[in-house]
Amino acid sequence: MPRHKLIASESDVRIEVDEGKDNEFSLYYVEVEENSKGGKEKQATRDGKRRRERNGEVSRRRASEKRSTEMSNKRAEKKHEKHHKTTRKEGEKHRKKQRRNADEEEAEEESSKEKKNIKNERTKTLKLEDEKEKDVKKKRKKHVKNEEDDANPGKTKQKDCQDVALKEKKKKRKKPETTSESESNSDSESKDNQAVGVLGSLTPEELEKLKEAVDERKKLITTLKGKPWPMKKKLVILRESQEFVEKYEGALGKGKGRKLYAYKVMMMKKWMKFQRDLENFKTACIPWEMKIKEIESHFGSSVASYFIFLRWMYGINMILFGLTFGLVMVPEALMGKPYGSMSRKTVPREEEASAMNFAVLWDFGGYAKYSVLFYGYYNNQRAIGWLKFRMPLSYFLVGVGTVAYSYMVVIRTMARNANEEGGGDDTSFNFSWKTFTSWDYLIGNPETADNKFACITTSFKEAIVEEQESKKDDNIHLTRFLRVLANFLVLCCLAGSGYLIYFVVRRSQKFALEGLENYGWWERNEVNMVMSLLGMFCPMLFDVISTLENYHPRIALQWQLGRIFALFLGNLYTFIIALMDAIQLKRAEEEIVKKNMTIWQANLYNGTMPDNSTALPITVHPGDVPRGPCWETMVGQEFVRLIISDTMTTYITLLIGDFLRAVLVRFLNNCWCWDLEYGFPSYSEFDVSGNVLGLIFNQGMIWMGAFYAPCLPALNLLRLHVSMYLQCWAVMCCNVPQERVFKASGSSNFYMAMLLVILFLSTLPAIYTIVSIPPSFDCGPFSGKNRMLDVIQETLETDFPAWFGKVFSYASNPGLVLPFLLLLVLAIYYLQSTSKTYKRVNMELKKKLQTQNEENKKKNKLAALKTANELEQARKAGEQHSNSASDLGENTQNSEPPVSSTHTTTRPPASRGHTASGHLPGHPQQPQKNSHSNRR
Amino acid sequence: MVSPAIALAFLPLLLTMIIRYRYYFVLLYRAVLIRWVRDCLTGLSREERAFQYILTHATPGDAQSILDTFDHWCSKVEFISNIGPKKGKILDRLLQEHCPITVLELGTHCGYSTVRIARSLPIGARIYSVEMDERNAQVAEKIIRLAGFDEDMVELIVRPSDEVIPRLREDFGVERLDLVFMDHWKRCYLPDLQLLEGSGLLGEGSIILADNVIFPGAPNFLRHARRSGLYEVRVHRAMLEYIRGIRDGMAELTFLGIK
Repeated sequence: MPRHKLIASESDVRIEVDEGKDNEFSLYYVEVEENSKGGKEKQATRDGKRRRERNGEVSRRRASEKRSTEMSNKRAEKKHEKHHKTTRKEGEKHRKKQRRNADEEEAEEESSKEKKNIKNERTKTLKLEDEKEKDVKKKRKKHVKNEEDDANPGKTKQKDCQDVALKEKKKKRKKPETTSESESNSDSESKDNQAVGVLGSLTPEELEKLKEAVDERKKLITTLKGKPWPMKKKLVILRESQEFVEKYEGALGKGKGRKLYAYKVMMMKKWMKFQRDLENFKTACIPWEMKIKEIESHFGSSVASYFIFLRWMYGINMILFGLTFGLVMVPEALMGKPYGSMSRKTVPREEEASAMNFAVLWDFGGYAKYSVLFYGYYNNQRAIGWLKFRMPLSYFLVGVGTVAYSYMVVIRTMARNANEEGGGDDTSFNFSWKTFTSWDYLIGNPETADNKFACITTSFKEAIVEEQESKKDDNIHLTRFLRVLANFLVLCCLAGSGYLIYFVVRRSQKFALEGLENYGWWERNEVNMVMSLLGMFCPMLFDVISTLENYHPRIALQWQLGRIFALFLGNLYTFIIALMDAIQLKRAEEEIVKKNMTIWQANLYNGTMPDNSTALPITVHPGDVPRGPCWETMVGQEFVRLIISDTMTTYITLLIGDFLRAVLVRFLNNCWCWDLEYGFPSYSEFDVSGNVLGLIFNQGMIWMGAFYAPCLPALNLLRLHVSMYLQCWAVMCCNVPQERVFKASGSSNFYMAMLLVILFLSTLPAIYTIVSIPPSFDCGPFSGKNRMLDVIQETLETDFPAWFGKVFSYASNPGLVLPFLLLLVLAIYYLQSTSKTYKRVNMELKKKLQTQNEENKKKNKLAALKTANELEQARKAGEQHSNSASDLGENTQNSEPPVSSTHTTTRPPASRGHTASGHLPGHPQQPQKNSHSNRR
Repeated sequence: MVSPAIALAFLPLLLTMIIRYRYYFVLLYRAVLIRWVRDCLTGLSREERAFQYILTHATPGDAQSILDTFDHWCSKVEFISNIGPKKGKILDRLLQEHCPITVLELGTHCGYSTVRIARSLPIGARIYSVEMDERNAQVAEKIIRLAGFDEDMVELIVRPSDEVIPRLREDFGVERLDLVFMDHWKRCYLPDLQLLEGSGLLGEGSIILADNVIFPGAPNFLRHARRSGLYEVRVHRAMLEYIRGIRDGMAELTFLGIK
């Protein structure tokens, strides 16, 4: 502790020296004089250390008070100052010595002030005294103990005056013993006696000062960030003032109050620490937060935004999974009929041999197909198990509920994000925005920072060029032509990919008709392969084409996103159209099976009837029963396969395209004839837009297929989980930061909008199939019904009391529904128009602010000009004045002249800083220039 | 058997690659294919063909004319990796700023850069130009002489650079190198730099100018230069000479002296 303290106080001294030497000197002098004259404060100081600490503060304040008086007789003072410098040096010596002493004497602190006075008065007798003091200390130690013993138990009620008075008495009692050796003892003692009365009032003053000092330190801590100091100095000051505050904050109260105060402060600190820990704990609880932060620091916020999006998606899928798993899959598995009890729950006889093969399972055939994972396994029994769980209803409601929940979440997020965007574009302060807001403060990697720096520089250049070009607008035709050409090329590309998928799907139908068993893996997976490959390569082509257009990168990114979106959507819809065709085929097949079924049943009964008519109903193994093709399971299977192949492609691309490439580049670089790392293959960049779109479309497929394959959310959850880790690893391991790092803030809502569109587009076909296509006759929870929707009607009729059904039928009466819809439309219209009004008002307010700002600027400019003129005049006058008086002094520090006196009242010791920071008074031309340059 | 549809799906990738790396394909065509064809047709080396062209088209004794003809030949007829007019300007500016007395050039090739350096050197300055290949050296000598620089000014050394550098002091009496221009094998940049450091020929303020540090690139060289702390490194970014769209740069290293 003492060693530490010493360092702190030394730095304190240094800072004072930095801030204002000459002031400090004079102040010190003043103080010394006071001390030597008065000597009252001698006993008032309870501890020398604090006193020393305070010295600076007190003296500064004194100085500022004195300042005004000093100003008048400054010339004379200056003479003194020389003198002061010498005394100052001496003073410093003393201080150091004292500090040494302080190191030695920790317990007794009362004597230091006294010593100081003595020393100041007679430095020559110091050595003598030092020896004596050692004796004194021992005595005092005892004394202090006594004092504490006295004070602690009895002093609870006593006020500080009494406290001090008591101390004084004790001191008095003690003084004769302790200081009797020194020569000046007698007179100082007598002064002590006189001063007893005064001391009571002095201590609170001191306390007041101390409080002020503490407050000042606190203020310093809060404003330290904005100070134009080097970081080293800031750190030193911060540490030191924190220590100061910590040390003396507790000492401010009195008696019981002090303890309470100290306790309060301590509790406050504990509480704050606890809060901080809690905050840390919370952060640690957010999944993958640290990982994402690390990525953010390396790659900027745009890459991190992808991972945040991924996490958000993971959360949504978690809930979807919870719904389907908890309300559909688990009840069916636990309470539904077991496997093998019905034909829909059994693998058909002809497939049984291969049902457990890995290849079949991997394709989600065999046992996987006849399990809770798919629609077809579920029974149409109205209520299952002892809970009377309404399985078909639950199935239907979960299907609807997942979609409804997704809509809700997406729209809510969009609305929340919409608040963050300011209304209207701010093109008026383009360069200011660029200057002040373009840095990404989350970057912590030097390479990324370099990239960002370069990016900002280029963006400035581009903006300047744009600004210039907006005025002359030549070559607009060429740009237009190129843009049209680029779009044409992209359209060609889209059409080509669409046709290719169409072609492949047609071919696969042909294969399917001929029987898939005759074809190899390639033919069977052709559709998925082609879709994945096109989805992977076409964006690259778009990217290359988009360089033709010469857009700003942010706009270019949006175009790119739009194009990829179109591509994916086209692919998906081609796929869905093909599926619809397949559904029609299956339904035709189903009709035939239905017919055959009756024939088969008739045969069965015909064959067995004659033997014994009273026998048990014939039991046929469920595997042998003829069954329909069950188009719902087929759809579910297709989606699951698509998801699996998509995931596989993503991971394989990641491993080959990123990891293998990185490995090759890294290790071949040592023996290659050009620079692989910076040259041709290089490391890959993280493709934010492509990945986000992949995620969005993946989600779209989940929404589409989840109704027919309840396992889809689970699969997706797994996929997201794996890809979180895999992609985090891949990004950190084999990607380099983008050359053009830009912030992601603007695009988040764009992604959300895309998600919404995809959600809508993916629910369309699902709703269409649910509403318009009759379900299969022998599989799934809705088998035997005309439409899947009928399950609601059925529930209403059977599970609710009759009046409820009546009410419902009344409520669904068009006479009621239509007005309600009308009301809804009206409400929407009203809300929309009010929001528009608010927006307009906001814009107007903004404009007003801008104009006000400009006016203020003008005013300030005028004022600055005026003051500059005045200053110049003042300076001229001052120069004349000083010239006339220059015979007196060789004043090298000319910072005092008339102007700085205004500053000294607020921040006395900063005169050196003033001279350094701004030659405001000295050179009136400069500020003018500065103000101009700032404005532009 | 892979179906044609899957093969067709790779078409966008192919197109992307072609469009993105078109400049490299052009470079490949010009620097390798044309050279090979011409070599077979004429039986002369590329450098000799360049010399013939210059002999017939340039004004002897006029360095500028020779450089211009060289540029024309390299950009219009065939491709030789010289320093080129744009990066040459950077070189010229450096020479004007520093006025080096002793210059070491590693990799003379056809003498283009030698002529370029020699014409802006002060009187009494001397270039030591190192070339490994015998035939290239002959062509370079002819071109240098054609430009009107004699042996006092340009000393052509036909030996590998790693043999020459340690013996510069003994064999040629060089005390200090003011400028080192590197344009030979990119792989040799780093060892040669280390040899130069070891030889003690570099003094404070000596400049090392290395061409093609970005394409084809000398990453190890740059890394060493940045990390060793011996140099102040500046990379002048420019384009590869005589061809569009390929980024390249020259590294300017100022030797700070060993402390």
